[in-house]
Amino acid sequence: MIADRVGPQPDGITKVVAFFMRDWRMSTSYSTAFWLSWVAVLVDVAVAYFIGSLVKPSANFGYGGHIGTYFSYLVINTTFLRFQSIAVQTFSLAIRDGQTMGTLEVLLSTPTNLALIVLSSGAYAFVYQLLQTCAYVGFAMLFGLSVSGTNVITLLVFLFLAILAISPIGVMAAAATMVFKKTGPIEFLLTSVTTLFGGIYLPIRLLPAPLQVIGTLLPITHALNGIRAALGGATLVEMRVDLAWLLGMTALLLPASLFIFAYAVKRAKIDGTLGQY
Amino acid sequence: MLEVASVYKSFPTVYGAEALFRYRGRPPRRTVLSDINLHVSKGELFGLLGPNGAGKTTLLKLLATLSVPDSGRIEISGYDVVRQPRMAKSKIGLATSEERSFYFRLTGRENLRFFGALAGLTGRRLATRIDEVVELVDLGYAVDQRFGGYSSGMRQRMTVARALLADPDVLFLDEPTRAVDPVHAEELRRLIRKELVDKHGKTVVLATNLLEEAWSMCDRLAIVNHGRIVAIGPPQSLDVNLRSSSRYRLIVDHLDEALLRRARAIEGVIDASAEACEEGMALTVELGTDGRSLTDLMHAVASNGTLLRDVTSIQPLPVDVFRALTTPEAP
Repeated sequence: MIADRVGPQPDGITKVVAFFMRDWRMSTSYSTAFWLSWVAVLVDVAVAYFIGSLVKPSANFGYGGHIGTYFSYLVINTTFLRFQSIAVQTFSLAIRDGQTMGTLEVLLSTPTNLALIVLSSGAYAFVYQLLQTCAYVGFAMLFGLSVSGTNVITLLVFLFLAILAISPIGVMAAAATMVFKKTGPIEFLLTSVTTLFGGIYLPIRLLPAPLQVIGTLLPITHALNGIRAALGGATLVEMRVDLAWLLGMTALLLPASLFIFAYAVKRAKIDGTLGQY
Repeated sequence: MLEVASVYKSFPTVYGAEALFRYRGRPPRRTVLSDINLHVSKGELFGLLGPNGAGKTTLLKLLATLSVPDSGRIEISGYDVVRQPRMAKSKIGLATSEERSFYFRLTGRENLRFFGALAGLTGRRLATRIDEVVELVDLGYAVDQRFGGYSSGMRQRMTVARALLADPDVLFLDEPTRAVDPVHAEELRRLIRKELVDKHGKTVVLATNLLEEAWSMCDRLAIVNHGRIVAIGPPQSLDVNLRSSSRYRLIVDHLDEALLRRARAIEGVIDASAEACEEGMALTVELGTDGRSLTDLMHAVASNGTLLRDVTSIQPLPVDVFRALTTPEAP
């Protein structure tokens, strides 16, 4: 009746895959919403194209003094904004869902590393967003976006580092959800600040000088610099300052955020509120 | 196998901003468990019984590492649940009373595949194990249906299947037969008692509100009241608190008000009541333990000219024991 004894196994890729498959199956079970999200990508590109056509090409929108269009500027930035939204929201939403569905306590009663639980809960969302980004850029190319000079390695490295550098904000939001039982205000605040000062809708050099300082401190600013430069053909060496900044932020923020999350779980265990919402 | 020593647990009475600002992060706390001491041996079916809010689920959550004690020590298979939670977790299976604790958009199999992977199972072994556990709880026919379509009883049985997935040494079952129909409830009890405990030597801690279930299944019971263990031992031994009195039923040919008054007046008689029965009248009395009152009572019956047909000792029912142990005056 009982199978051979099963001992504890090290956390690993199988658990990450399990989270990914869970979220993929749940996402595709809402088939209408799933397919509409792809239609929304096309609509977003069209909106960016028509807004972009209202603004004259300028060096403000290009990399390294080259003239760029506002359309290309918007495409890159809104694509990245989507990644940032995922990074900020996905972890806390996963915790909130676990609280309301009653699965969080069961997850935490398994011999699974806390960091793995929280980070894996974003695996599907990031992969899905990557695919949506590809679709976004593909549609944008149909509207005239040029990616012929792109340095793919620089682009991928910056995209990966951008996710790593921004994810800690999401993990901290998840920690807040664990304690305060509510998502929303913190993510909204973080997203608003980074959107305004990180150069999503307009280059930060157009901001007043004091606000430019805030923008410079944000990881998103350096991620956007790198991604925009990659589309202009820049190498990693050329972008070493932004690269170092993102690496430093990741090395600092990721362990800190995981520590804060672990503390939040401990706090919820002490207060007996782990499963409350 | 399972050791609990001097465990205390309290919860804050206020949370969030009020706790943070009004009480500077140190809000008043309400004690929910006091001085809990338990030893559960390997292969034992141990019951936690108590009224609603007594602290059973809180204790179960402490054992399952989902909460931490204020003080005291809990060890599972030698692993401290606070200092070595991951090792302790690898030894346990938890069936919560929360039947929603699954993903409703996924099938039963997809749910078990996910939780099985987190428990450390992979590939073929996981697939085989899923087939085994769903058969054990008689859900093989529904395992590929969406979980959201399951009835309450099916969901409850699925929580037991999930707890069994990794073949843990220790199982914590929180009201496993709640909402389950009588036939499947009986099958679940048989599975727990015969298969898991008797045949495979699993250690089971069962929290329940069902007296008959606890009395019939468990090797030992702890009765929890107001956060304290007020009695512990084999079910048959738990009437110890009732031994300060004993109850008898005397069948007589007739019984009048005068005899009932005389009976009540005898020293050592705590209570006496009369009712008609097939053989005539039944006089039910509760006596102290001085040993003389029954003789005096029988003498009173005889001197009244009443024919005494039968005398039987009445053993306390589980509900009597439970009531006696969980009243506010109970120790």
